[in-house]
Amino acid sequence: MDKFVVNIIHRPEMVPEYSATVTGQGKEEDIGDKKLITESLDIFKTQQRLAHENGLKVTIQMTYAALFNEEAVEIAKHDHEVYGDEIALSLLGLPCEEFREKYKTKDFCIWMFSMEDKKAIVNDVFEKFHDAFGFYPESTGSYYMDADLTNYIKEQYPMVKCAVATCWEEGPKAYHTCNNSWYTLFDGGPWAPWIPSKQNTHAPAANAAEDSGIVAIPHLSRDLIACYDGNGSNFGTHPQNVLRGMIYDTKTWEYPYLYNLIDQYRDLEKYNNGYAYNMMFVGPGWMNKMGRWEQPYELLLKSYSDGCAYYGKLKKEGKLVDMTMSEFADYYREKKGVNAGNYNEPECAPWRDILYGSDKQVFWYCDPYMRACVNMDQGGAIVDLRPYVAKLEWPVGIGTKHVQDASYPFLIQEKYRAGYFTHYAGAGTVRSAKLSYNGEEVDLCLCPTKSHFSEEMIDGKKNRILTLDPVEIKFNGVTVKLQTKEYFEEGASNIKIERNILEISDPSAEVYLDEYITACYGTTEYPEDMTGITLKADNETINYEYKCRDAKVEGATEVSATIPAIQTKVSMTASDKATGYIEEGYAFSPMFKLGYKKKISDKEVFATWLNLEKAN
Amino acid sequence: MAQLGKGKLNYRCPSCFMRDLDIDMFLDKDTGIYSCIRCQFRGDEAKVLEWNEKVRERYGAMYERFSKFDFD
Repeated sequence: MDKFVVNIIHRPEMVPEYSATVTGQGKEEDIGDKKLITESLDIFKTQQRLAHENGLKVTIQMTYAALFNEEAVEIAKHDHEVYGDEIALSLLGLPCEEFREKYKTKDFCIWMFSMEDKKAIVNDVFEKFHDAFGFYPESTGSYYMDADLTNYIKEQYPMVKCAVATCWEEGPKAYHTCNNSWYTLFDGGPWAPWIPSKQNTHAPAANAAEDSGIVAIPHLSRDLIACYDGNGSNFGTHPQNVLRGMIYDTKTWEYPYLYNLIDQYRDLEKYNNGYAYNMMFVGPGWMNKMGRWEQPYELLLKSYSDGCAYYGKLKKEGKLVDMTMSEFADYYREKKGVNAGNYNEPECAPWRDILYGSDKQVFWYCDPYMRACVNMDQGGAIVDLRPYVAKLEWPVGIGTKHVQDASYPFLIQEKYRAGYFTHYAGAGTVRSAKLSYNGEEVDLCLCPTKSHFSEEMIDGKKNRILTLDPVEIKFNGVTVKLQTKEYFEEGASNIKIERNILEISDPSAEVYLDEYITACYGTTEYPEDMTGITLKADNETINYEYKCRDAKVEGATEVSATIPAIQTKVSMTASDKATGYIEEGYAFSPMFKLGYKKKISDKEVFATWLNLEKAN
Repeated sequence: MAQLGKGKLNYRCPSCFMRDLDIDMFLDKDTGIYSCIRCQFRGDEAKVLEWNEKVRERYGAMYERFSKFDFD
């Protein structure tokens, strides 16, 4: 049976993140402001009422501050008894008088504390939770949960099985949107639930040994095009985020985009064995009685009411199943085949623009070995690539090399490293191909098309396949009609790209194909040190020194780059004899390039594989 | 001139919003002028609201309700 699952989560936050700065502007800070606490509790009660009125179950994530509030504890107990809500524990909402007094800091993001403090806080909040309810929670979460934190929680409190563990593409873009003051830097994670590995939260576990023991869910379900090139906080299943993006009619207070977003997620069940997922999690600061930015309280309230009503309507129509987080964790492990030992079932998401009116289409793919984005508007080029296969151990927080930066590094990121288009000089990161004829050259990035998804068994292996609509490349005197197919073999840690030459108007014409990847590594917009990278084409080797060198080998069996900084080897291999080449970059273009070139003929099929491996 | 403060609603700078920046504006209660402390935008409430509508021009499909998400 097809299932569209929703998790609705509320947190009684006594000092909401935004209320304290918005309503408190012009006043001295008062973290124990009784008026603010009363208002926050009222918002929580309103949220609970709206969910229950629409027949929806809630996961109540108690905050540390809320555990000191008898009324909040009683509401949670009551709603658990009456509505079947799960009482869980959030690691958000730490700030309160008690926390400040004990930990002597204004830090509030659990992943940024030192490991010593993380342990102390976890022990403190879990025991406080036990004191209030008489049991330990099965679900927890924060905006981000680093692997060391999750591993510690599982060690101390093995009953925990579900956690909110990242916000999709909340990284430098969100930081910039917040005037470079909101330090949630965690790009590169899954957009839909996954089982984090013990080594790195963002990289899904490939087997039981890597299984962290929890099912992770993303903080909100976000627009897979709009968030990639914009402020993620405007485009998610968070009604007030949609208002934040000003995506509503000011006269009617209607926001079809919110429903389009939910419906597009529903549609993803077609590509994921009949399963799709949504998460709605609105903190009380977003329903501030003072209003939020341009929106008065009445509109904030309406949007949350409408969000609950839409999920409630889908439930009544039998199109949605509401679950608590812990229920979902059990469902997910069974549905994905993990209970039967298969960790490799990918998450697939063909996604179209539903906001700007462009008809652009991308495809997101995620499994334990990679996360990739294929852009149909650029002829099926891979425009984002994260090599999860390396399972990079990347501790975050005070006392580590990455106090704030929890992003999983990329090899390709078209927004931070240019992609196809660069200004004047150099190259940007992308996996694409070029065709050339008689001095003319055309990159498939300039051949917009659409794709169609299918799932097929090939040589006994499950493959998810994107079949792109054919494109025509018109040279002076010759036209080439070409169709691309991209294969994601389950568990293979590679992407096969096949070019089918459907027609060459002059079969005798000398047309050449250049399959290439231009890549680097990083987590932000700024370049990293490329020294230490080794490029190889069979026996030809270039140790990266920004010297703009290159080498080529006729009939090369493999071209590769090994990047010690992210313990990753990326390589290309080809289905037929071709000239393999490697190119070093230079200071103004800190990239490397790998590729294969060959002359193509009419009706020929040529394939290359992009392979990812862990390099110790 | 007294210090700037917040208005009844907490308007953001529409000019900065267009470059994906959320910056609160501050109000001169004597003149009714909102000003951005990062860029050079200044204007009364009517101008802010007018520019907020310009912000929405980028959302070409904002009023559409989609029922098909693939291109099959």
